[in-house]
Amino acid sequence: MKICITSTGSSLDSNVDPRFGRCPYFIIYDIGSDTFEFIENGSRQSMGGAGIQAGQVIAAKEVSAVLSGNFGPNAFRVLQAANIKMYSGVSGIVREAIEKYKNGQLVETSSANVESHYGMGKNS
Amino acid sequence: MIISVASGKGGTGKTTVAVSLALAAEYCQFADYDVEAPNADIFLKPGIKNIKKVTIKHPYFLTDTDKDFSGCAKFCHYNAVAVIGTEVLFYPQLCHGCGGCILVGPEGAVREKDVEVGEVSKGFSRPGIDFLEGNLIPGSMRTTTVQNELEKMINRSGLVIIDSPPGNSCSMVMSVKNSDYCILVTEPTPYGFNDLLISMDVLDSLKIPYGVIINRDGIGDTVVEDYCNAQNKKILLKIPNDIEIAKCYSRGGTLFDYDKSYKEKFQKTLEEIENSIFQ
Amino acid sequence: MKQITIISGKGGTGKTTIASNFIKMAHDHIAVDADVDAANLHILLNPIIEKQEDFIGGAIAVVNENCINCGKCEELCRFDAISYSSTDIRIDNLKCEGCGVCEYVCPVGAIVLKKEKQGQFYTSNTEFCKLVHARLNPGAENSGLLVTRVRNAAEDIAYSQDTKLVIIDGAPGIGCPVIASLNGVDYALIVTEPTLSGISDFKKIYYVAKFFNIKTFVCINKFDINPKNTVEIESFCALNNIEVIGKVSYDENVPKLLAQKKFIIDYPDSPAAKDIRKIWERFEGYFYG
Repeated sequence: MKICITSTGSSLDSNVDPRFGRCPYFIIYDIGSDTFEFIENGSRQSMGGAGIQAGQVIAAKEVSAVLSGNFGPNAFRVLQAANIKMYSGVSGIVREAIEKYKNGQLVETSSANVESHYGMGKNS
Repeated sequence: MIISVASGKGGTGKTTVAVSLALAAEYCQFADYDVEAPNADIFLKPGIKNIKKVTIKHPYFLTDTDKDFSGCAKFCHYNAVAVIGTEVLFYPQLCHGCGGCILVGPEGAVREKDVEVGEVSKGFSRPGIDFLEGNLIPGSMRTTTVQNELEKMINRSGLVIIDSPPGNSCSMVMSVKNSDYCILVTEPTPYGFNDLLISMDVLDSLKIPYGVIINRDGIGDTVVEDYCNAQNKKILLKIPNDIEIAKCYSRGGTLFDYDKSYKEKFQKTLEEIENSIFQ
Repeated sequence: MKQITIISGKGGTGKTTIASNFIKMAHDHIAVDADVDAANLHILLNPIIEKQEDFIGGAIAVVNENCINCGKCEELCRFDAISYSSTDIRIDNLKCEGCGVCEYVCPVGAIVLKKEKQGQFYTSNTEFCKLVHARLNPGAENSGLLVTRVRNAAEDIAYSQDTKLVIIDGAPGIGCPVIASLNGVDYALIVTEPTLSGISDFKKIYYVAKFFNIKTFVCINKFDINPKNTVEIESFCALNNIEVIGKVSYDENVPKLLAQKKFIIDYPDSPAAKDIRKIWERFEGYFYG
């Protein structure tokens, strides 16, 4: 099973980035094999709809969950349609966030936690 | 002859100058290309005869046909379409109306509808000014679409005065690119000067001749004037800084309302421009 | 971390004046100049460039030698960007929006979308804080995309340090670069002036900020040059529940100080300085509270 963490850098020792659509990197961690890969987030350069595009990229990676700081409504909509669980308010080091997830210490987010409007609002 | 009035820096007095030129010419076409924030109507007070909506086409997806729309999502350069499984998510704010979805999507399953992004108005101001204005709906990003509609209404056979938006990027270039001459309005400050140099670069690359009007002369320094003199850039006019001009402007009054002698000054400016173009 | 964008609708109302004086008074902050085609903050802040990056803009269609002049591209271009004659096809770079339709329909692969460098953006140090700013090539498009780059760079810094406040100096108008400067911010400060033009444009930019659900404040600059219009602005704000965070007096010293690249608040006897300081103090609770 794979999970995705939004990250400021390309390693597990990077800090979790609070943005979903505009983080610099995604870390895709495979729980079963304890391996990971990183993806540079090309969506962040879009003027609008970064969350939409990032959502589709992550959905195609077949992850079961995303850990981040905030999800805007557009990213939320896309990830929800792909049946991907979201955990917001996650911070600290990526490695530690993964541990918290494995230990069941994170609470799933049931709705977007920041404002938006048509892909242009806060944290889209 | 088309004369455009532009400025890198906002608030230097483009509309004041453009309106003054039109009133000095008395018979001309005037086009307000500052479609995001048009103001010339406040001063020219046109009677509007005709308003035309500016629209683009947005796609809509017949999702109950069970077709695969993922091609549309992959094609869209603006992230306006997302497809997850069978769900199609469309973001109208981001759509440019390129028509790609119809071409790329499953045949017959993508249709289009007209969506308004702004309007263009046509009217008449005394004494003999044919007035055109573009107006973008706030929240839309289709500035150049509205400007493009204005462009179709320009009548090159007479004198045309174009009021450009501020800045040095595409909406300014759209306004000046077809003009025979451009007046750059600036203020004699480091900020005015900084932005003036960029505007001059734009016009040089478009190969459009230009001259400078220094507005609010006296508030800053002589750097702009010295530069223009040293580089052989024509200074057409200097308008002194005057709180009374500002107050008159704030009420919707023109420069001529404040001081009638400006009419002759602007008529001279028009003559100078004409002479320099038709040399 | 809070982000505030200073906008106006109408140009020349005093955005950069207010932004620069806020930058001087703030702490734990970063500044962003989002007026990328006529940037002015650097004139006051004297930045020393630390990092420079190329801005590769949106794509433009380019025709190559495979073209057979079938005209299919021109038929389908929605932006009037293609002109077609019996001898050649020309792309109007200014009108081309890089949508890719022509590239898609060309039967012989003679049109390709190409991206080009259209400017640069910089991360710099100033006396007060880091400044992220840019230079768009004259006449270039995609100013909104460049603003996005600049904003991303600023946020990256902000999240990696203990930044409490990002102050963004916006562009005039209500279009792409302004919208890109408002994307995801906490507050918008509309700097307006009591002129009929100013009021007309204020209402438009207010609508944009509201459309994107951003808490908006208003500051009326040179409010005493037309008290009647000032009342009109205040009434509109009262009716629409917009907080007028302050009014700045007309002060003939201001243009002179600005022209000398000085900060207004360094001249505490100036009425405008007192007013700007008062506005800043009212904001402090929102930013750091």
